[in-house]
Amino acid sequence: MPLKRPSVQWPWHGLLALILLGLAIGLWVATKRVNYEWRWARVPQYFFYQAEDTQAAPVAGTINKINPNGAYSQVDITPANGGQAVSLTVETDTLKVKIGDPVAEGDGIGAQRHWKIGPLSWGLWVTIWISFVSGLIGLFIGLITGLCRLSPNPALRGLAVFYIELIRGTPLLVQIFIFYFFIGTVLNLDRIVAGIGALALFVGAYTAEIIRAGIQSIAKGQTEAARSLGMTAAQTMTHIVLPQALKRVLPPLAGQFISLIKDSSLVSVIAITDLTKSGREIITSSFATFEIWFTVALLYLVVTSLLSQLLFWLERRFARSD
Amino acid sequence: MTPFLEVTDIDIAYPPKRVVEGVSFKMAEAAIGCLLGPSGCGKTTLLRAIAGFEPVQRGLIWLEGVELSRPHWTLPPEQRRIGMMFQDLALFPHLTVADNVAFGLRSWKAAERWARVHELLNVVGLDEYAQRYPHQISGGQQQRVALARALAPRPRLLLLDEPFSSLDVALREDLAHEIRAILLREGIGGLLVSHDQFEAFAFADQIGVLNQGRLLQWDSAYNLYHRPADHFVADFIGQGVFLPGRMGEGSRVCTELGDIDGIPPAGCAPGDPVEVLVRPDDVTHDDSSPLMAEVVERAFRGAEFLYTLKLDSGARLLCLAASHHNHQAGQRIGIRLEIDHLVVFQRALGAMNEA
Repeated sequence: MPLKRPSVQWPWHGLLALILLGLAIGLWVATKRVNYEWRWARVPQYFFYQAEDTQAAPVAGTINKINPNGAYSQVDITPANGGQAVSLTVETDTLKVKIGDPVAEGDGIGAQRHWKIGPLSWGLWVTIWISFVSGLIGLFIGLITGLCRLSPNPALRGLAVFYIELIRGTPLLVQIFIFYFFIGTVLNLDRIVAGIGALALFVGAYTAEIIRAGIQSIAKGQTEAARSLGMTAAQTMTHIVLPQALKRVLPPLAGQFISLIKDSSLVSVIAITDLTKSGREIITSSFATFEIWFTVALLYLVVTSLLSQLLFWLERRFARSD
Repeated sequence: MTPFLEVTDIDIAYPPKRVVEGVSFKMAEAAIGCLLGPSGCGKTTLLRAIAGFEPVQRGLIWLEGVELSRPHWTLPPEQRRIGMMFQDLALFPHLTVADNVAFGLRSWKAAERWARVHELLNVVGLDEYAQRYPHQISGGQQQRVALARALAPRPRLLLLDEPFSSLDVALREDLAHEIRAILLREGIGGLLVSHDQFEAFAFADQIGVLNQGRLLQWDSAYNLYHRPADHFVADFIGQGVFLPGRMGEGSRVCTELGDIDGIPPAGCAPGDPVEVLVRPDDVTHDDSSPLMAEVVERAFRGAEFLYTLKLDSGARLLCLAASHHNHQAGQRIGIRLEIDHLVVFQRALGAMNEA
């Protein structure tokens, strides 16, 4: 009798599909019951939209010539007080004047359209750069704190433990409020600086513990070998221990950074227009509550999954040398 | 001649346990020594104290007339110019073979550094593996890289902490011989820690036997075998049994195998109980001898048999006989004692059951 039968997989895949389908139907039925009207078409304009720039007549005069050139038309105005004809370019379908029309200074002739970044895209960008900057500062804080945590000096060690416990024992939301309303007021900090500072301190404490664990996971023999080859303790740390430790802690560090992107949504409470805040603002004008929140969630999901793919790739690249 | 390495009466403790107690020994420049003992005897701790990884609670360590360790003061390992090969090798996994070897040469000029790296990789026969990472080469090759890395900065002394223990026995002795040859050529002294006496014999000129934190004897392999200073050394080095006896007149020792001439331990009066160390090679097989013993066990060793014999009194004896003397268990065979230096220890009451 064979010990291991090839297991049949497809019924389980089928079950998975059924469950997902069931969830989708449930969602649809639920929104039907509250008579929600889906307006997905309203969402794209919050990523990018065409802004119209009204082109006004710079002088009073008469429309002398309209020269259509595809989508654009060139409009020449002969000034009433004589002098050089002025010409304007507007989009043909926005043209409001005919040849011979008199115009006063400041009258709209037509418009030029151009693409503008919508609030969702802008919010996404703010979320990304705030996370990136606070992540970078947090990594630095974490590195220093992690090293202090392992220092033989009781003062450094005590400070590191105090900081880590303080941050890990309080909610991030409260930290952001304290940072903004207390530290921010005392030091007269900009809200962005306060937000980044709070996030960096938060992520730094967790990073410190990850780095400490990484350093401790490197065999003692590595340090001793480097010392017996003439390296001081500090040189050993930078050339032997840290390169190996950082490589080893890359997966948990990546997880921490991905969490940071999600946690950064909390800075919206101090009026930083990140992705979450943008979503809230858009809802007040569009009333597309469900669509916008789903879109915001999807955007976070896209960013975090792209990042985890990138780090997965990095990890495999690094793994080649051990 | 002033000694090169001088260890004077040192104690090392992991409070409350004292791991090394009152150890002293001296080594000459470029000499090759070994600290031999069962596991847990403190030999590795002693080596680590010489390397500068353990502080001493008592005593002094000097190298080339410079103090390395005294109580409450330890010269940092990086300032000792003592190389070390570790039991787990501790190669740097994130550096190539060449970078591992070059690691101790960071302060050298680039040209000299790479010349030295290639010189050493050639010495250990690994020049073509220079760009590999440690995990891409075999265990024996890793051993050689560890050696090259330790030798690169031209240390004054190389410490070896059981570096061969992960290798199979055949490779182990080969490598011990090879490293010995390299050390002699480079003029660098070596101190090996081992629990394997054959490895120690293959490697070192002078061997110290440790037990329970004490250095029992610091001597040549020959003397350890033939003139062991105490019961433990006699038992630990080589094989043999202790035959009970009694001091006779002068230097005579009376045993059931007859009276033998030996050097009595100090303070022994005629009539005192003693024990006599009988090595397997002290007992020869002789069919014409009137002295008979029964074969209890035999172990085929290729060129010879190692017989375990039972005397009429019930005492056991080991005998090494050429392998064409093929006797079965239960047979009685004639034996003869051929002892050059008789090793006699005073027998403590109750120590009878040993051996």
